[in-house]
Amino acid sequence: MKDRVRLAIPSHPRYLCMVRDLTVRMGKMTNIREEEIEDLKLAVDEACSNVIRHAYKGDTTKRIVVQFRISPRGLEVVIDDNGLKANPELIRGRDLDDLKPGGLGVHFIKRTFDCVEFDPKKRSGNRLKLIKYLTGQL
Amino acid sequence: MKIELTSHSSHIVIVITGEIDMSSSPELRARLLELIHKKPPVLFVDFTSVSYIDSSGIATFVEGLKGMMPYGGRLKFVSIPPKIAEIFGFAKLDKVFEIHGSMDDALRP
Repeated sequence: MKDRVRLAIPSHPRYLCMVRDLTVRMGKMTNIREEEIEDLKLAVDEACSNVIRHAYKGDTTKRIVVQFRISPRGLEVVIDDNGLKANPELIRGRDLDDLKPGGLGVHFIKRTFDCVEFDPKKRSGNRLKLIKYLTGQL
Repeated sequence: MKIELTSHSSHIVIVITGEIDMSSSPELRARLLELIHKKPPVLFVDFTSVSYIDSSGIATFVEGLKGMMPYGGRLKFVSIPPKIAEIFGFAKLDKVFEIHGSMDDALRP
């Protein structure tokens, strides 16, 4: 059986610390290397922040569901919301040589996870699937 | 996150403790921009006790730096923990911000 853990939080930034704490624990249980755990924490945090900022436009009364699944190959994180549909083609980080606030979150997510994709079958809202393979399991 | 203002050799030092994230960065932004409004020649930020920073925290400092640039102000970061320094490096901000190992280093002209 694959190990699954589910966390549902209100879409308020004050609950993001709970997502970070659980991400660290799940990363350790998956045996992800210690030096990659902090990257994992930042990446999942950024993905949930993006839900609040873009899908929910700052509405703190909605819900974000984060599911973790440990497998022998690595850790899968699935983030669900019921907000505005994201257009994956328009999601890109800012040019790192361009000094301006914002636009870094996508870079932090993509540098950490081996797979970053929105589920096209989700009819309303968004389902972002993130996979981090254990070293040597790619 | 906790923000304290101290002084070192007559310069303002912003001492931050804890996590800078989407929840706490609005408070940091307000305090930082309030200070920058007074156009200090140099602002120091002590990162010794910062345990985490996300993109909203980094964006706050980028905004602060851009607010200081027009009048020639300098934003100096002191004692950044290695993991946070790595994040600044990845974002190519280690060449944009002035980063120093200690207050003594930061005070050298």
